[in-house]
Amino acid sequence: MRDNASSLNSSNRRDFLRGSGVAAATAVLTQTAQVGMDEASAEALAAQDVAVQSGSMKITLQVNGQSMTSEVEPRSTLLDVLRHRLDVTGPKRVCDRSSCGACTILINGQSVYSCTTLAVAAQGKEIRTLESFDTGPKSVAHAFHQNDGLMCGYCTPGFVTACQALLEKNPNPTLEEVKKGLDGNICRCGTYVGVIQAALDAAKAIKV
Amino acid sequence: MKAFEYVGAKSVDQAVKALTSGSAAMAGGTDLINRMKDYVTSPDRVVYLNDVKELAGISGDSGTGLTILSGTRLSDLLANDSIKKSYPALWQTASEVGTPQIRNMATIGGNLMQHPRCWYYRSGFGLIPKSSDGKHMLREGDNRYASIFMTDGDALYAHPSSLAIPLIALGAKATLIGPDGERTMDVAELYKVPTSNTESPFASRPGEILKSVSVPAAAGKNGSFEARHKQAHDWPLVMASASLTFSGDTVSDARVVVYGVAPLPWRSKAAEEAIKGKSVTLDSARAAGSAAAEGAKPLSMNGYKVAMLKTVITRTLCVTVGNRYWEV
Repeated sequence: MRDNASSLNSSNRRDFLRGSGVAAATAVLTQTAQVGMDEASAEALAAQDVAVQSGSMKITLQVNGQSMTSEVEPRSTLLDVLRHRLDVTGPKRVCDRSSCGACTILINGQSVYSCTTLAVAAQGKEIRTLESFDTGPKSVAHAFHQNDGLMCGYCTPGFVTACQALLEKNPNPTLEEVKKGLDGNICRCGTYVGVIQAALDAAKAIKV
Repeated sequence: MKAFEYVGAKSVDQAVKALTSGSAAMAGGTDLINRMKDYVTSPDRVVYLNDVKELAGISGDSGTGLTILSGTRLSDLLANDSIKKSYPALWQTASEVGTPQIRNMATIGGNLMQHPRCWYYRSGFGLIPKSSDGKHMLREGDNRYASIFMTDGDALYAHPSSLAIPLIALGAKATLIGPDGERTMDVAELYKVPTSNTESPFASRPGEILKSVSVPAAAGKNGSFEARHKQAHDWPLVMASASLTFSGDTVSDARVVVYGVAPLPWRSKAAEEAIKGKSVTLDSARAAGSAAAEGAKPLSMNGYKVAMLKTVITRTLCVTVGNRYWEV
């Protein structure tokens, strides 16, 4: 872990925030997992080739087409593993209660809240975050830029991901379908008008 | 959240064996993970069911009846044409649950077995929250979203599962599977009213999981209507589902079930009796709404639900016969 105080002068704000995030995660993850193990039941399960996993464990996730390995606990959420362990910081941690949408990612092509997904349960599934999306002139990101679809920008990664998921399922959405499709994300700055227009524009641009 | 053991079950058999005392079954996780984060539920072991292939899928059709396995995600349920066409009460309700992301994660079993949203419960005070001087926190406190029926008892929270409402109206059966094998019951019988904080609000025994829900062949017409604060990301305030059969123009049999007014899915026999033998018009639907509200005993802050109940029943009956009069 880096020394945040002494590295402040030489590092940018993002590096500093990343550093403090790791500090917070380590504080939680190093607590010893104290779980009462039911020996008899564990043996019965082992006989059928069912693993009872606890404490620290190594998992491999398929993130944006890459195999990534990390040390996690069963209780680690996918969002925290992506951000704090694998340095995939596109999905944001805001409410951490599946209420805001900032942590939206795609698992097997479906938009889901990564804050409410266990990392262990995501093994063997195809995980995509907005780092893997196109950012060219026919992209969702470009449409957000053109339509001023953001103010502070903290909800934007979630909105772009939800928008991408919507357009992959329904390349030709109506205004009502866009509103319903982006229901799972919240923008406290209130940029919904720009966001909805961006989704409609991106749908047109991607088709051209 | 508290550390736990994790079992990624691959079959129902494995899941049932792994569900020892102190374990929790998890499918989509949208309810359980948030309860664990808030230390409302702190299981020693979590058994993950979403990778159990024999628990996901829909079979049958509206002519013979449908069997929906408990691990079927709501987005897959919504993609089923047979449900959309023949069971609009169920389809409409599922389409209003949560958000697109929630519907991609959540399963029908998890929706039926979710824990109440009562904020005293979610803050760790239990389903019957009492302060140290014996006062009922919900009766004396902020009860704007609580029940208006059965309020003489101690369980004052509103039942949380919106999908239970159309399923009960449609006469669906639930099958539980556990160490002692399978048993089937009406969906309504999945729930009970706890009399203390140590009692479960579910009829399932320890180690049992919900395996499937069977909806009988479609007969007559069915529909749902809900009233809510927000268009997404929220539970209904009051909603209702109706399943009506007709002889000619008049209603020969009716089942009307209401959400948000009791600690159980509330079957309104009064509304059913009021609409039987009549054709569904705005007047007869309003009379059924008024009948449904009789006997309601709201708490200090939820009297609005009585008025809302009348409107919701009226509109549910009109929706069921295809009359959305308030939209024209």
